Amino acid sequence: MTQHGAYSIVVDIKSGMQQPLYDLLQKIDDSGVEDNDIIPFKKITTIHFARFVILDACKDAYGKDIPAQLAFTTNYDLPLNNHMQQMISVAGRGLWQIFSMCEKFPQGAYNASMLELYLQNQSLEADTFYVGVGYRSVQQIHEEHVLRNAINDFADRNRQSIQQQPANTTRQQIIDYVHSNADLAFARTPVPNASEKWNVSFYGKLIGLAILFIVLLPIIIPFVIVWMLIVLSIEIREKQVPNDLTKDHIRELVNRETQLVQAQFSALGNVKPGKVRLATMMFLLRMTNFLAPYLFSKGKLSGIPTVHFARWLIINEGRQMLFLSNYDGNSENYLRDFIHIAAKQLTLMFCHTEGYPKTRLMMFGGAKDAEGFMEWARAKQIITNVWYSANKEVSVDNVYSNSKIRNGLYGTMSETEASEWLRSI
Amino acid sequence: MQLEINDIQGLVIRGYSNLPAADFLILSITDGAAAKKWLADIQKDITPGHHKPKETAIHIAFSFEGLKQLGLDRKALDSFPMELEDGMTTRHKQQFLGDFGNSAPDNWEWGGRANEPVHMLLMIYAKDAETLNACTQTYMAGFSQNGLKLLQHLGTTVLYERKEHFGFRDGISQPTIKGLSRTDTNENCIEPGEFILGYPNGYNQFTPSPYVAAAMDHKNLLPQSSVNGMHDLGKNGTYLVFRQMKQDVSLFWKYMDKATQNTDGTNNEPAMIKLAAQMVGRWPNGTPIVVCPDGEMPHMQEDNNFDFRNSDPHGLKCPFASHIRRSNPKDSLDTDRKTSISVSNKHRILRRGRSYGPPLAETLKPVDCLNATKCDDDRGLHFICLGADIGRQFEFVQNAWINNPKFNGLYEERDAITGNHHNPQDPRTTGVFAVQHPGLRVRHTDIPEFVTIRGGAYFFMPGIKALQYLSSL
Repeated sequence: MTQHGAYSIVVDIKSGMQQPLYDLLQKIDDSGVEDNDIIPFKKITTIHFARFVILDACKDAYGKDIPAQLAFTTNYDLPLNNHMQQMISVAGRGLWQIFSMCEKFPQGAYNASMLELYLQNQSLEADTFYVGVGYRSVQQIHEEHVLRNAINDFADRNRQSIQQQPANTTRQQIIDYVHSNADLAFARTPVPNASEKWNVSFYGKLIGLAILFIVLLPIIIPFVIVWMLIVLSIEIREKQVPNDLTKDHIRELVNRETQLVQAQFSALGNVKPGKVRLATMMFLLRMTNFLAPYLFSKGKLSGIPTVHFARWLIINEGRQMLFLSNYDGNSENYLRDFIHIAAKQLTLMFCHTEGYPKTRLMMFGGAKDAEGFMEWARAKQIITNVWYSANKEVSVDNVYSNSKIRNGLYGTMSETEASEWLRSI
Repeated sequence: MQLEINDIQGLVIRGYSNLPAADFLILSITDGAAAKKWLADIQKDITPGHHKPKETAIHIAFSFEGLKQLGLDRKALDSFPMELEDGMTTRHKQQFLGDFGNSAPDNWEWGGRANEPVHMLLMIYAKDAETLNACTQTYMAGFSQNGLKLLQHLGTTVLYERKEHFGFRDGISQPTIKGLSRTDTNENCIEPGEFILGYPNGYNQFTPSPYVAAAMDHKNLLPQSSVNGMHDLGKNGTYLVFRQMKQDVSLFWKYMDKATQNTDGTNNEPAMIKLAAQMVGRWPNGTPIVVCPDGEMPHMQEDNNFDFRNSDPHGLKCPFASHIRRSNPKDSLDTDRKTSISVSNKHRILRRGRSYGPPLAETLKPVDCLNATKCDDDRGLHFICLGADIGRQFEFVQNAWINNPKFNGLYEERDAITGNHHNPQDPRTTGVFAVQHPGLRVRHTDIPEFVTIRGGAYFFMPGIKALQYLSSL
């Protein structure tokens, strides 16, 4: 099993360097994100998804200036050190070139260890990180997709002979085929399960929190009631900030959605003013971050079955929220899923940003206002300058189905089980 | 909220099965002033929703360019949705709708990139061919002196037993608009605002409606808009999507035949029909295969009252990738049942399509189609649908369901009937269709495109008063 990290760095762009930086990122995009000379992403094999996003200069909710910034993020296979070393050895010079246009970057000629130090020191912890692909590495997702396709082609080639025989006979033929095929050697053994120790620590944390919660319940209840009343009074008093949205902005966004299977979403919004807002939001994001691996472990983010990875970052001293996600389909149906399937849960996370449709107790209203939600989402969505996906032909659903097919290669099965397994192919 | 049925064009309310003859005239406006005068003259002909015509019905709709040509001001034009403004042929829309290869808008006969801009659609329905012809001729005679140019005269055909060219009964599943007199199951009753502007939609909101400045509405024809200081140009109007889909009937049945032949190479008629029915999701007479997987039943031909989740969770009766299971997934989406139905109902369309061109075989029987020798005639479906939100309804269904290889857990299966397999990023240029079995599925590969897009455009179909307003500009 593989665990994932969300590497994020958000740094100020040196004054006057925004255009050259934009051009350089455009060059990466134009010359092929997988194998360009600057950051040949395909060679960084620890990356599931990565992106560069330029955040334009803007004003926060208090009217204070925020300079133009560059965000670079990856969804990678842990450990971080391995990922970092790989990025630097494959794309060190490209990263050097990009970040030399940013503030606080070391001067002078290329120096790998200085770059590493910079990337580490400037990096940010995600406030909420959601993983939709389970505990699978980039390689595992790729291999299991190859396996599934190979088994399907094998089944097609031998359709006549395997139609009318017991399911277990067919299953054995498939297993034999996999074992005889050198390209599928990886599938001869299963992916190891989580260790006992890991399980104990994983569920131990949850149980620990639950116990703490129960013990503190007498304190928590009145505290939450008072807190909710404060939030409600803030919500009532809050002025709705209009969303500035043009058709051209939407056109620019959707024109960049050219992938067949997956798409990305980057959004930047001002956090509403006030300390209570900030504290409430941070608590909700961190709480979700803690609970996400327990609540959303089956590839569904609050029921939305298409999200590979998502993260919420609170940046610029709590003044802005940056939301980044990778999902199947396109932004139109992705946002519709928000409204149709997870309105309440996502309202809880997003309602702290300006322009979000009016809420009550951070759950009611909000995304139920479908028009208002779509307008807010599109207004806050920003251009992703460079976007990379390692397994771009695989949907979240495919990831899980592929593992199910692979896991059926091991052990013995009853005729019914074998039949059920064959059905999943 | 009471439907103002006398201000709604009748096509929204009914599909005119009693008026089987129809012509669709695609027009360009060469002289805006003359065209407006003509519009003012003919607006009395437009059939309102409270009429039940027995002889003829006339309807009219405008493209974004057409509205511009009539002289609608910039602000009003900007209040129309982006879908209408951008049309079907931008690079993004081509990608979104999956119009590649022979279906690419560069190759269209009308409405495409190389064609003259489309401005207006005039739809003429009549009780028989003779009445239709007389009516169409009368209109056509007046075009040139009224600043109009006919770009395409799209005729229609009524096929045997109201089937479409592949031989399947068409137009069965339609949503019922709440507030009309028709009764239906709760699940199939849809808020009027999903199809008519100016009424609450499925979110209990008003779908954004185009407007004009109150000061521009000199005769005060239009109602107040929800936008301050504006009058509602959209009220009682809707949007109309037109796609001319050419059908290769011979190719269709030849594929089904080849895929199901006996080992000695002879035709297996029942298997051939069954495969086609599995791709459609209904038997030729309309019987849903999820209800009757073994064959058609005469009394089930209009049946819509079925689900997928409980009656066919593994796709053993109606394959997951079949046309009806993906164009209206009902309760089968990957959420709980109630959510799935409510999501599906946010993406419904009213279909008003008509077939065109001579049938390959009069009977439309699969074997007759298979054995037909003269196959080169042009035939197909003028796909027409109505909805208050082109993006959320037609485009969503086409993009996220019909032409999405990953729809609802699938891998590489687009709609076997209408899917397009020529996206340049696609590893293969043909379709795949898996028929689920209790054990291993049977996967059909190398499916060619049976349907090619030959033309199309998005239109605004105004309410009667809005039409008066447009002609008075």
